Amino acid sequence: MTATIDISSLDRPEIIITRLFDAPRLLVWTAITDPKHVALWYGGPGFTNPVCEMDLRPGGAWHHVMQAPNGTRFTINSIFEQIVAPERLVWRTIKDPTRNPAPPTSVNTITLEERGVQTKWMLVSRFDSIVERDLTAKMGFGQMISAGLGRLAEHMKRL
Amino acid sequence: MPLAKGREPGYIQLAGCQLISYMSSDPLSSTLFALADPTRRGILARLATGDATVKELAEPYEMSLAAVSKHLKVLETAGLISCGRDAQWRPRHLEAGPMRDVFEWLESYRQFWDRSLDSLAEHLKVMQKQKRKAKHRAN
Repeated sequence: MTATIDISSLDRPEIIITRLFDAPRLLVWTAITDPKHVALWYGGPGFTNPVCEMDLRPGGAWHHVMQAPNGTRFTINSIFEQIVAPERLVWRTIKDPTRNPAPPTSVNTITLEERGVQTKWMLVSRFDSIVERDLTAKMGFGQMISAGLGRLAEHMKRL
Repeated sequence: MPLAKGREPGYIQLAGCQLISYMSSDPLSSTLFALADPTRRGILARLATGDATVKELAEPYEMSLAAVSKHLKVLETAGLISCGRDAQWRPRHLEAGPMRDVFEWLESYRQFWDRSLDSLAEHLKVMQKQKRKAKHRAN
């Protein structure tokens, strides 16, 4: 199942991504708030997360280093703003002063909703400045994705 | 600068389209801002069927020509539309480039989360298996 982006959310402007998981809500909550678990899925296949430290409380820090399959490392530092277990997690990414241009900063809200035996996962990303979205296009996510896809293509050849 | 291509500077005053941030170095953010309004998206949808004058574009809306012109200015600034050279009618024309850029960006953002969530789904299966095993052992 693929995530869906709600384009109409540009009204606000926000980006909304949703996904349905075949797992109870409490388990999904653990998977997204326990750094031991987050490090195992964040970034997707081929990505590793050498650093994932979460101080799960309002104002607490989330220090994260993600490594792309080609070895490129991305430092992502965030501050938790709101933690309502097991349904709502809000964090704000903070600017990386060592990088120029720095990756964009955003306030991200994940909401978990019980849907019978499934759990609806919803992410609302609100970028502080839409100016910063431009940087994402230039050197942020685009780069991460292509790094991942290159590795995947190589892997497919070997199969 | 989405509107810079093939537009001589004098054109800006001549056509009367006030390209406020003609020098904007940030086309993607102005595109997102421009798209963040139902009226402006409606205007773009209309222009997708062919060039139109301000008056024609204003017809479906219960707002003044001035209000519609303001929306057009935002769209022009974002490079989503351009002004025709006909001095009297100045028909507006849809420009596809910036629209493509914003959708490409959204696509890369979606792909990042798609890949992460694929892995999360797999990881949740592992967690559930481990939980069942632990329960089994406890019994």
